[in-house]
Amino acid sequence: MLQHFDPNKDYGTPARLSENLITLQIDGVAVTVPEGTSVLRAAAEADINIPKLCASDNLEAFGSCRICAVEIEGRRGTPASCTTPVEAGMQVNTQTDKLARLRRNIMELYISDHPLDCLTCPSNGDCELQDMAGAVGLREVRYGFKGDNHLDAQKDESNPYFTFDPSKCIVCSRCVRACEEVQGTFALTISGRGFDSTVSPGQDQPFLDSECVSCGACVQSCPTSTLMEKSVIDAGQPEHSVVTTCAYCGVGCSFKADMKGSEVIRMVPYKDGQANHGHSCVKGRFAFGYATHEDRITQPMIRDSIDQPWQEVSWDEAISFAAERMRAIQAEHGRESIGGITSSRCTNEETYLVQKLIRAAFGNNNTDTCARVCHSPTGYGLKTTLGESAGTQTFDSVMHADLVMVIGANPTDAHPVFGSLLKRRLREGAKLIVVDPRRIDLVKSPHVETQHHLKLRPGSNVAFVNAMAHVIVTEGLEDSAFIAERCEEQAYQAWRTFISEPQHAPEQTEAITGIPADELRSAARLYAQAGNAAIYYGLGVTEHSQGSSMVMGIANLALATGNIGREGVGVNPLRGQNNVQGSCDMGSFPHELPGYQHVADDAVRSRFEARWNVELDNEPGLRIPNMFDAALDGTFRGLYCQGEDIAQSDPNTSHVEAALKALDCLIVQDIFLNETAKFAHVFLPGSSFLEKDGTFTNAERRINRVRKVMPPLAGKADWEVTMLLSNALGYPMDYQDPSEIMDEIAALTPTFTGVSYDRLEELGSIQWPCNESAPDGTPTMHLESFPIGKAHFAITEYVATEERSSRRFPLLLTTGRILSQYNVGAQTRRTDNQVWHDEDVLELHPHDAEERGVNEGDWLGVASRAGETVMRARISDRMQPGVVYTTFHHPGSGANVVTTDNSDWATNCPEYKVTAVQVVKVNQPSEWQERYRNFDEQQQALLAKARAEGRGRKSRSRV
Amino acid sequence: MGSHQLASLIRMANQIAENNRHVGDDAAVAHVVSGHLSRFWARSMKQQIQAYLEAGGEELNPAARVAIAQL
Repeated sequence: MLQHFDPNKDYGTPARLSENLITLQIDGVAVTVPEGTSVLRAAAEADINIPKLCASDNLEAFGSCRICAVEIEGRRGTPASCTTPVEAGMQVNTQTDKLARLRRNIMELYISDHPLDCLTCPSNGDCELQDMAGAVGLREVRYGFKGDNHLDAQKDESNPYFTFDPSKCIVCSRCVRACEEVQGTFALTISGRGFDSTVSPGQDQPFLDSECVSCGACVQSCPTSTLMEKSVIDAGQPEHSVVTTCAYCGVGCSFKADMKGSEVIRMVPYKDGQANHGHSCVKGRFAFGYATHEDRITQPMIRDSIDQPWQEVSWDEAISFAAERMRAIQAEHGRESIGGITSSRCTNEETYLVQKLIRAAFGNNNTDTCARVCHSPTGYGLKTTLGESAGTQTFDSVMHADLVMVIGANPTDAHPVFGSLLKRRLREGAKLIVVDPRRIDLVKSPHVETQHHLKLRPGSNVAFVNAMAHVIVTEGLEDSAFIAERCEEQAYQAWRTFISEPQHAPEQTEAITGIPADELRSAARLYAQAGNAAIYYGLGVTEHSQGSSMVMGIANLALATGNIGREGVGVNPLRGQNNVQGSCDMGSFPHELPGYQHVADDAVRSRFEARWNVELDNEPGLRIPNMFDAALDGTFRGLYCQGEDIAQSDPNTSHVEAALKALDCLIVQDIFLNETAKFAHVFLPGSSFLEKDGTFTNAERRINRVRKVMPPLAGKADWEVTMLLSNALGYPMDYQDPSEIMDEIAALTPTFTGVSYDRLEELGSIQWPCNESAPDGTPTMHLESFPIGKAHFAITEYVATEERSSRRFPLLLTTGRILSQYNVGAQTRRTDNQVWHDEDVLELHPHDAEERGVNEGDWLGVASRAGETVMRARISDRMQPGVVYTTFHHPGSGANVVTTDNSDWATNCPEYKVTAVQVVKVNQPSEWQERYRNFDEQQQALLAKARAEGRGRKSRSRV
Repeated sequence: MGSHQLASLIRMANQIAENNRHVGDDAAVAHVVSGHLSRFWARSMKQQIQAYLEAGGEELNPAARVAIAQL
């Protein structure tokens, strides 16, 4: 892999980027580094390794331990090399008798108050204190060990993933600084003074009760075993590592999986990860135990109907059963009576193969992906306006932004590593506008405070974005030069006329959005005049009946102000799942082949037909909601669903359940018996990310390698299973390795022609487009032109959603995510992350609670026109009156029983963010919840029976 | 109405027309809607909504009716 630095080495202080280079002499060696670099780092870059304890290259220099002292000719004393910047001609000596004595003396003091249990310490072999004792030649501790010390300090074991053992703490403050500088939470401090100094979470609280978000930055920074992963305490030090990509959100963090044999001991954020630069969140860092959870199903299973017990069978039997059923359905009901769903939790190669199977073996385009229910409007909106269905920037671009506008996204919960980077930039002085009905953490957190929190009403996004554009246009804040050079003139003039109309003025839209006109005008001026203004948005933009219009409205704003085509600006969709971008890129949508190439384009289709050796349908296929409707009509009867849990994640659960029950054959490929699998006839055991070889593409279009660290528990990789199914259906597939699948993708997808596993090894990761024009990839899109030539201003008329509050349903429900859980929770619910969120609750404003006589923790019936569920109340002034909020991480809470089948006009993305509901106090579960409990118990019993019989057969066969 | 899919298709077609009403008169809107349906709807969906229009198509708005007739 191409390395500019050794990611396994700690250079002591952060790199500096100055163009002015300084040359100095260190131990007689000439070293040239950028101005501002510390002497410690300059030495490290020349492989002169000065001892250090409180310094780390992901933290600003602190200068407390003094171990890194040096002598500089012409200067008195022994300055700390970490806090001393290089100067031209400086003569530095890092190893002298005086320094050796000094360092030994310091180490003596540290060790005189440190347990001497190195042989039984969990850090043995991976302890910087131990290393430094060796490096300075410590041979004795003249002070003895009988004086005052901290050796009896009590451990804090409250966090499920790591312990805090203050007896081993050297108070170097690295954990405190990591929490501040890297994570931005400021949960830790040093309390007390002098000998009483101690690391303190929150107000001298246990870690679990403090503001700590368990990102692991402190554990990563600790030079001793004071903060230590419990998994390492239990299992000992790992013996090898594999770099791979996280399976959670769209940030796509790189991790080193630290291994003992095929057992993951810990996941350590990889310093050279180009999306995360060595940082992590509680999910990626710690919540990997689900991969070996006892609920994993590792044996294929079949059954004739969903009220029958499962039967464990061989792979061959399961695949034959599935293929015969699908072919029988097609024979009776036609070629278009079956389809499939790809997953954003699967790799690009797996996703590509599933859509290929559907198009080539099923013979239709009935392929869709879970992006249908999250970011399909991003694809439509950005392709229409900018010409490409993807975000425009790198994550690092935010460090060049002067103003950030976050719309309908909650990065500190849903994209935490990007959230930390954003907070770092905000602490440096960038301005912030938050557009959200709810007071998310970004609105006000330590050393971060938004300039404007625009608390709009759910469903009024387009009225808001039009008002912003209206102010920019009517107040002359446009970037006329950019528009003239980069945008279609005719479309721009039409849009300008439209947006100048008085109904878009903030004074007019205030009644719709609830945003005071003055505040909106101030925000619009701030955005337009900031310099570099960047927009980051999430599902609060897309999951509306006008999701696509809103995405186009955002692109209009960026175009009108010239905030496209350089670092620090842009339109940035924050993708929910790790491979949402990739699953869309890979041709999962029913109207597009890989690379967003339309199925009706004869030239495109003929290239695929030639390569795939099959005739392809030139008509789009069914989207997921259309599949459900057609299933209920009896025209769609077979579904292959890989890695998705549509029964929990899709809206209007009763409708989805009825559709799934209506299928003659449901094939589910997953790692657990998820909610969807309870309706299945064939269960094909899948692989977790730790068992996969392939690639994920994150929200910044970055293709990262996923590397297998343990063999698939069920014996087959997911792509092999798809291949088996295809072969059984009569369409031959014969890949020997996922790299061959990527080679085929590259051959057929113009934006991927330069991508291969060899190039990924060489570059570490690649941001597409990667082709002849951009052989190393494209960090920033649209630098000089757009894929459609000139950008297109789209007219975005506000059309109110049909889902409105009424006397019967007076509140608006909006749904979202929480830090510790991920999507439907199938993974995180099977980890200790449960300690933070073991049930979904309904947040409501104190005013709405008081009106209904609701107290904290009361059971509340939440009813909409789609259905009713029951969850506990959490009274919170984060909400605005009239708006309630919940999450959908737990199936039994039934959040999606309540959400409706309203959807985006252009893409059918469900309107999860607006559901009119009534909330009343109740004392029993809803009817749906009773039905769910009974069905769940029935299905778990059927699974248990199959597993018991399977175990019985195996033990008999051994006898 | 009897058909889940048809009910959804009628609502979707009307919604697409409503979100493109800025384009101009019914004929202009219909042109855009027709293009959208052609590009994004499955064959079976188009056939079903065409059959509904031929049977009267009462619940379709004017622009949607013209659009579907153009498919």
